[in-house]
Amino acid sequence: MTQAKIPVDLILSKLAEEAEKVQSRAGKASEVLLEDLDTAIAQTPYEVVYQEDRVKLKHYLPRTKSRYKTPLLVTYALINRETMLDLQPGRSVVERFLDSGIDLYMIDWGYPTRKDRFLGFDDHINGYMDNIIDFIRERHKVEKVNLMGICMGGTFSVIYSALHPEKIKNLVTTVTPTNFDTKKGLLHVWMENIDVDRVVDTFGNLPADMMNLGFLLLNPARLMIDKYVGFMEHNDNKQFVENFVRMEKWIFDSPDLPGEVFRQFIKDCYQGNKLLKNQMEVGGQLVNLKKLTMPLLNIYGKFDHLVPPEACDQLVNHVGSKDTEDICLDTGHIGIYVSSKYQKEFAPKIAGWLKDRDHIPPKRAPRKKTAVGKTAAAAKKPRRTKISNK
Amino acid sequence: MNEKKEDPSGMTSMVDTWLKSLSDLFGNMTAQQNTTQGQQQPWTMASQGANPKAQATMDAAFQNWQSMANAMAAPESISALLKGSGAMPEMLLKLSQNSLNGFGEMQQSIIDRLSRMGATAEAYEFQDIDENIFSTWTDIYEKEFQQFFQIPQLGLMRTYQEKANQVADKYNLLQSTLAEFLNLLGLPFNQTMQAMQEKVGEMAEEGTLPDDSKVYYNMWVKVLEGRFMTLFQTPEYVETLARTINTLADFSAARDSALEDLLGSLPVAKRSDMDDMARELYELKKRFRILEKKLKE
Repeated sequence: MTQAKIPVDLILSKLAEEAEKVQSRAGKASEVLLEDLDTAIAQTPYEVVYQEDRVKLKHYLPRTKSRYKTPLLVTYALINRETMLDLQPGRSVVERFLDSGIDLYMIDWGYPTRKDRFLGFDDHINGYMDNIIDFIRERHKVEKVNLMGICMGGTFSVIYSALHPEKIKNLVTTVTPTNFDTKKGLLHVWMENIDVDRVVDTFGNLPADMMNLGFLLLNPARLMIDKYVGFMEHNDNKQFVENFVRMEKWIFDSPDLPGEVFRQFIKDCYQGNKLLKNQMEVGGQLVNLKKLTMPLLNIYGKFDHLVPPEACDQLVNHVGSKDTEDICLDTGHIGIYVSSKYQKEFAPKIAGWLKDRDHIPPKRAPRKKTAVGKTAAAAKKPRRTKISNK
Repeated sequence: MNEKKEDPSGMTSMVDTWLKSLSDLFGNMTAQQNTTQGQQQPWTMASQGANPKAQATMDAAFQNWQSMANAMAAPESISALLKGSGAMPEMLLKLSQNSLNGFGEMQQSIIDRLSRMGATAEAYEFQDIDENIFSTWTDIYEKEFQQFFQIPQLGLMRTYQEKANQVADKYNLLQSTLAEFLNLLGLPFNQTMQAMQEKVGEMAEEGTLPDDSKVYYNMWVKVLEGRFMTLFQTPEYVETLARTINTLADFSAARDSALEDLLGSLPVAKRSDMDDMARELYELKKRFRILEKKLKE
């Protein structure tokens, strides 16, 4: 029998060292936490140029000369807030787009209240989004706008582009769930069994706190323990604390989700996977992805635990467009937008892709219901590439 | 003697006297009524002439009562009446016995149910009591206790009582399901602790124990994360999660319904009133927007 070699002396001395460090850190941390901290988010200047009910349209003030003929509208999800794209100066997708010369608009869905519980996909897509896009078209005197959707906002954008292709020049989808027939993401597994009617009929809207608890439960070890252990280890670092608080502010700044949106999202998407099957109905119209003929750039994260790659990578195979591109980044759901490393790749990639397609057709079509998306698709040589940044 | 045996308390003569005086009373009242009518004041004559049917009904009633009192005063009727009153205590005793038996049976049924609780619990393996105690409790509650909250309520306040019972029942269900759910969430911690003990034991044997506490923490978090991921994909977890959400929704619905009743008596709008109004507003807005778009086109 061998004698166990336990370095008790080393362990004890390390513990003593650690205790000293913790004590010194605690002293500094109290100084940092009591100091004036800059934790403001969404600081890039903008003006609200359109408002309908609780929904606002932000137009970001240009930082440089516009280099694009077509303005870009960003549609965020109804879950959490669009401020994620502009967390702080120097770490902002919005800034990067503006620096590229993009004329940038963004939808702020606001905070739905109980009176908004009856608003469904149709009201958001054929109502608010369509009115906003008409407003931008009118304002810029253009037939089409560029549309970029994020997460559920991406799903809205896909549906919108299939229903109104004559108004969309290029479509960019990021971490957008379109294939719900997968067991890879826990949300997909959990949502299959949820009695959505009971939840919506009882609560009206899906309460944000319930949703947030659900998101935290996706990985409690990291999101409820390790994250705060990390904070305690670095809370003497002012910059770290500021960034951490900014992120906390964004994560828990959660509006309730309108009940009817939640009902249709769960029933038609998570439980029925109707979008890819061209069986989804919005406002009495069938959503046919073959009508989505404009150029499509589809970006998603390899380590996304909310919308796994399997939920995103099917879209390009189902649309009518011949100009599609898939990009899989080695990051997660939020990392694409907030990580400095990926912001350097992500925003310039989108800006460049849009620039390549920012031409004006030789003859401007008269303002009527045209053959949808024909101009953009026909002018480009059909291209289907898949880039995986591994 | 015989007389005393038949009527030891003098009851027959008492009843006889009472019935005779009752008969005289109704006779006098009828006569009085007729006399009064004859001396009616001029200002009441109109009403008399106006409703002769009412007077006839009154006369008939008094006469009926008089004849009934006469008939009852007959000796054979009195003895029958007394016989009946003698049977009264016996009847009451039987009635109360039946009622008590009924209560006894109900109590027995409750005792049976409580003893069955043990039988229900036996179906579970108590050697694993730590793991299934909460699901066992939920099951016992659903099978043995829930019915008490579903006993039909009666009377004017039945609706309110029924709703109060619903709130209590749904609250109990939520608590037991929530305990089951939280217990499931606690399992990865226990498993991680066991795994860590084994791992540290192995490392101690191999002499590769790290001296940095951070390494232990990282190991623990990694194992914990893995255990959670495994748990979250199990059908048991998915089913318990869905059940917890359902019981929460059921409790909220029952609570809201009971609260709405309370609010009904106060001068404030109820949530359902506001919901109705919001729906109407939503539909009107939608119609308005469609018309507006059509006009623009």
